[in-house]
Amino acid sequence: MRVLVIEDERKLAANIARSMRESAGYAVDCAYDGEEGLYMAESNPYDLAIVDLMLPRMNGQTVLGRMRQAGNATPVLILTARDDRESIVALLNSGADDYLTKPFDLGELIARAKALIRRGKGHSTAILKMRDVEIDTAGRRVSRRGKPVTLSAMEYRVLEYLAHRKGAIVSKTELLEHLYDFNWERFSNVIEVYVSGLRRKLDDKNGELIQTSRGQGYVLRD
Amino acid sequence: MAKLSITRRLIVSVILAQVVLTLAVVALATYLTEKQLRDSFDAALHGRVMSVAALVRYSEDNSPKLFFDSSLVPPPLDRKHPDLYQIMGADGEVIGKSPNWDPDFRTPSSDRRIYWTVPYHEDQYRVVHLNNIPVLDREGPETATPPTLTVIYAASTEEIRERVWAAAIVTCLGSLALLAISTAISVWTVRRGLSPLAALASSAGRVSVNNWKLDAPPQARETQELVPLTDAMDGMLATLQHAFTSQREFLANAAHELKTPIAVLKSTLQLLLQQPRSAEEYRAHLEGALDDLARLEALTHSMLRLARAEQSQTTKRVTDLPLVDLANSCEQSAERLKPVSDSRSVRIDIRPNGPAKIHADPEDLELVWNNLFENAVRYSPAGSAVLVSISRSDHRARVDVEDRGPGIAEIDLQNIFNRFHRADASRSRDTGGYGLGLAIVKAMVEAYGGTISAESSVGRGTKMSVSLPINT
Repeated sequence: MRVLVIEDERKLAANIARSMRESAGYAVDCAYDGEEGLYMAESNPYDLAIVDLMLPRMNGQTVLGRMRQAGNATPVLILTARDDRESIVALLNSGADDYLTKPFDLGELIARAKALIRRGKGHSTAILKMRDVEIDTAGRRVSRRGKPVTLSAMEYRVLEYLAHRKGAIVSKTELLEHLYDFNWERFSNVIEVYVSGLRRKLDDKNGELIQTSRGQGYVLRD
Repeated sequence: MAKLSITRRLIVSVILAQVVLTLAVVALATYLTEKQLRDSFDAALHGRVMSVAALVRYSEDNSPKLFFDSSLVPPPLDRKHPDLYQIMGADGEVIGKSPNWDPDFRTPSSDRRIYWTVPYHEDQYRVVHLNNIPVLDREGPETATPPTLTVIYAASTEEIRERVWAAAIVTCLGSLALLAISTAISVWTVRRGLSPLAALASSAGRVSVNNWKLDAPPQARETQELVPLTDAMDGMLATLQHAFTSQREFLANAAHELKTPIAVLKSTLQLLLQQPRSAEEYRAHLEGALDDLARLEALTHSMLRLARAEQSQTTKRVTDLPLVDLANSCEQSAERLKPVSDSRSVRIDIRPNGPAKIHADPEDLELVWNNLFENAVRYSPAGSAVLVSISRSDHRARVDVEDRGPGIAEIDLQNIFNRFHRADASRSRDTGGYGLGLAIVKAMVEAYGGTISAESSVGRGTKMSVSLPINT
């Protein structure tokens, strides 16, 4: 999963990014003003945007409005220091999916972020099931036939993304875009390494669960 | 203690005035009536005298003896009481008298007056005493001196008194009726006249922190006596509203500004606790948290400083303060900022044009220069100089602080002195500012009766001008 954080307080942005990488395994990009944030949101496919309301150059509300106007359906979580009812109602009405008032709890922010990403993909619970594989996205645990499977961080992220998009063909580029932020180098063959690792650990040697659609990408079959 | 009531006082004074007026009118009317009646009574009395004198005749036998023909006496002036009279000849002999003539009734003829009022039989009688009335009968004998008569005539005045009394009662009753009507009218008028005041009071009662507008009723706005009051109230409310909203704004801004550094600090600590970390990492994060705390501390300090500066605008007595040389004060501030300016390779160049001294608290001035110089240094390119020029005119000292920084956009220039305003949030957060510095400077300068203004052109630099009055 790839998350965009638009927050002008650099230290706060850095804390959010690091926390998300560490505890949710998300790829996180940071933008420090509204214009930059909007540009990044328009040019990359994000699974979630966390937007501060008081931003230099372009405020968060405008960023949100422009995103929605351009048909960008990425879930947006607003961070605000204002907690008056009217401005929150206005925000939710103009397309925000959730909000948190500063100072917030990092754990709560991550839980809400996970819930928003899940719902953005059409799932209402934290546990994703396909065939006999169970993925607990809250605890980042995977089991097959009731037995826990130990995955590396990147393997888990590939599996989680495929599970969120199950049934659809996911290209390597899409996977890369959603699993890496700007700070990471992109090598397309790493995806193949992770997929083969996943197949081995999930006892899916014939590629029935994670199917390869030649020349196009991968499909997670239910 | 009972409250003074304007309505009551007005009504009571109007009624009192009317009662006095009524009494005066009644007294005057009674007096005039009585005088008129008495005058006409006296005239009638005089007429009676002439009538009875005309009844004195000579006898048929051509003797000089006079006799009184009492058969033709006119009716008495007072219907209930018969008149008394006596007719005497020149020698004092009695020619005729009324049947009820009382010899005691003689009046002192020495008196020059001809009319008296005398008590008689528990009644007041009006008496007339006339001498030298010629005898009208011309048929008497020829004599050297024609005979004359003296007549004393008296009549009861009871009827006059009754009529005066009756007139007084009628006047009194009429006046009382008028008094009642005019009292009712004045009560109504006073109540009605004061009703705009009550309406104004009720609309003033509706003013609250959510509704600062005095919705004064048109009748109050159109009442001349209330115009100064409504105008004063409008002015007072506008001032109060301004003070209240700016305080509320300050509080909201302060809360808002405190939330972000707290969020940073909180997230730093939570991130640290999220998973086990190495000792070095703990140390680095804790140091970061301490930095955050230091910024919070600086922010609260600035807020308090601003609140104090704004408060001191009303309490400062300038001439009690020491005389401070502005060039010295600026140099001290520049010296204090040397570590910062050196680290950015920026010079602070102070150019005094003659001495300028003002009465001030040296710490206040230093705060002003520190903020201005620090801003200038912060935005100056490395190797450039901040130019501080000090000049004075007759009554004002002026300090200009010029930098060669990026300048401030026109739209932001209007807002730079507003609390919590930042021209570019991310940039000044990098440099640690919270948008309070210039607000503090402005409040401080204004506390001394001075002004501050900013000129800037983007890409060329900014000039801040402080003008302070020189109090002697």
